[in-house]
Amino acid sequence: MTAMTITEKIMAASSGRDKVRPGELVWVDVHTVMTMDYLGKQCFKAFESLSPERKLFNPERLICVSDHLVPPPTPEWATLLNEWREIVRQYDLPYFYDLGRQGIAHQIMVEQGHVLPGKVSIGTDSHANTYGAVGAVGNAVGVTDAAVAMATGKCWFRVPESVRFIITGEWQPFVMAKDLSLHIMGMMHWNGHLIYKTLEFAGPAIRDLSIAGRMTLCNMTVDLGAKNGIVAPDEKTAAYLQPVQKGDWTMLESDADAHYDAVYTIDVSKVGPTISRPDKLDDVVPVEAVQGTRFNKAFVGTCTNGRTEDFAIMASILKDRKIHRDVNMICIPASQDVYLECLEKGYFATLVKAGAAIETPSCGPCAGIHTGVAGDGDIVLSAGNRNMKGRMGSRNAQIYLTSPAVVAASSLFGVITDPRQLINEID
Amino acid sequence: MIKGKAWVAKDYVMSYDMVLQRFWTSPINPQENAQWIMAGVDERFNKEGGFQHCGYTFIVAGHNFAGGGKSIEHCITGLMGAGIQAVFATSFARLQFRNAINYGLPFVTARDMNLACETDDELAYEPATGQVTNLTRGTVFTCVPVAPFVSEVAQAGGLMAFIRQKIANGTIADLR
Repeated sequence: MTAMTITEKIMAASSGRDKVRPGELVWVDVHTVMTMDYLGKQCFKAFESLSPERKLFNPERLICVSDHLVPPPTPEWATLLNEWREIVRQYDLPYFYDLGRQGIAHQIMVEQGHVLPGKVSIGTDSHANTYGAVGAVGNAVGVTDAAVAMATGKCWFRVPESVRFIITGEWQPFVMAKDLSLHIMGMMHWNGHLIYKTLEFAGPAIRDLSIAGRMTLCNMTVDLGAKNGIVAPDEKTAAYLQPVQKGDWTMLESDADAHYDAVYTIDVSKVGPTISRPDKLDDVVPVEAVQGTRFNKAFVGTCTNGRTEDFAIMASILKDRKIHRDVNMICIPASQDVYLECLEKGYFATLVKAGAAIETPSCGPCAGIHTGVAGDGDIVLSAGNRNMKGRMGSRNAQIYLTSPAVVAASSLFGVITDPRQLINEID
Repeated sequence: MIKGKAWVAKDYVMSYDMVLQRFWTSPINPQENAQWIMAGVDERFNKEGGFQHCGYTFIVAGHNFAGGGKSIEHCITGLMGAGIQAVFATSFARLQFRNAINYGLPFVTARDMNLACETDDELAYEPATGQVTNLTRGTVFTCVPVAPFVSEVAQAGGLMAFIRQKIANGTIADLR
């Protein structure tokens, strides 16, 4: 039996094979298909052209989410949302996460147990890579692939080559999964080293990471050009999924002698708070290099960093302090469940007292759509995932990407600040 | 054999710039999607028909063509509607690479070809062999021939048509 990586094992099992090899083209059975508001109607229309009798492969495994456009910022988008709701209602689906029960699709998929270790799930949004956090192959697809999967339960894949990142050492105070993610972005660049590959994260420092941290890490693998990112499931995964999982799964991991195109070892003890400078994600520097840079907008939310632990670290930094008067801060929890947990734990009370605005769960200004987009001349310090020109609105705005801890610490002073400076002042 | 004029691009032609945000929710329609394709890539394309009316048949690009992680298929249908019949690049972003296969538009990996061509060069491309001849400069590039699956999907008229055929002839369950 040939040794396989975890992604190869999942693709083999999902395509009815004993083994697969990188480069091989396989049709896999998908566990779940996700689509959301602004593309969903097109998915259903394309699906109906394949299946005029409207027979879904499995209504319980098509997950519909309203996230990009809720609450709607314009009459046009309100109308589009209405059309989306109308078509979803026609199918009477058991899992439709609409305004009031909403969240960012990728958060919903993991948090509500629609993604399971050892299975393949696809979604019509690029950050579907997030699903790797619980040991699934998560992949982004277009409308056509989604429609085909809705009708057949299948999706074609080229089995990717695997690259392993072994993360050792101890996480330092105020250093988060986002810092590691940006560190890898700076190390590997955007120019093709990791394109189409599967990135497997392993090692003691990954075992130490929460599921939320693993989600951040896997989420941004798409921005490295990778096909997917994955962390093998462990007891933390099992504990996280147990109350919510929709289906059964078993533990799996890469074989010890599996083949990798490359193996990188990173000592996370040496990774500090990290930042990506405007316009290019891989223009990454340690926070010290841009310390003192002025900014006027702060944003924490998104499928990358809108989870409870992100707001918890912010609350620890902003407790009994005030955000600088020249900084407008927007915080957006990634789902209603996250929202509720942050309310119950008092994190949002702390952030509001410090001077932050809290918005209802959505993708928000990350994709430049609503609830605080950037205008001309804005300098945004964001815990989101992309900083290309125009990403958050105006092409004449600048976006620095970093962790929630750096955003919180910097917001106290109105200039980019290393949160470790506050280490003796925080409980 | 496909012949025509090329537009030569640098690294990082991003999907966001190929299709501006206000068109992300437009219907998928090659003719409509072509009108504003590439509007954010270059100021001279930032008008209705700006890229489309240049009459290019090929794009020759550097790293990470169509990158930036949008899943929207307008990037592909817009190029097709604008008359593009193949894109050569050092590397492609995987989402649009996938979408291109699903629509039957050849996205051909060709390392650094953009450094050896200039905009308006006449090229001739033979998909079966992967050979590209720069007729203006008299140079030849050998790219990877199109994979059998990709060519099968393209011949069917795209993935939707390919799947419709499989459903019609009862072979859909055989896909694995």
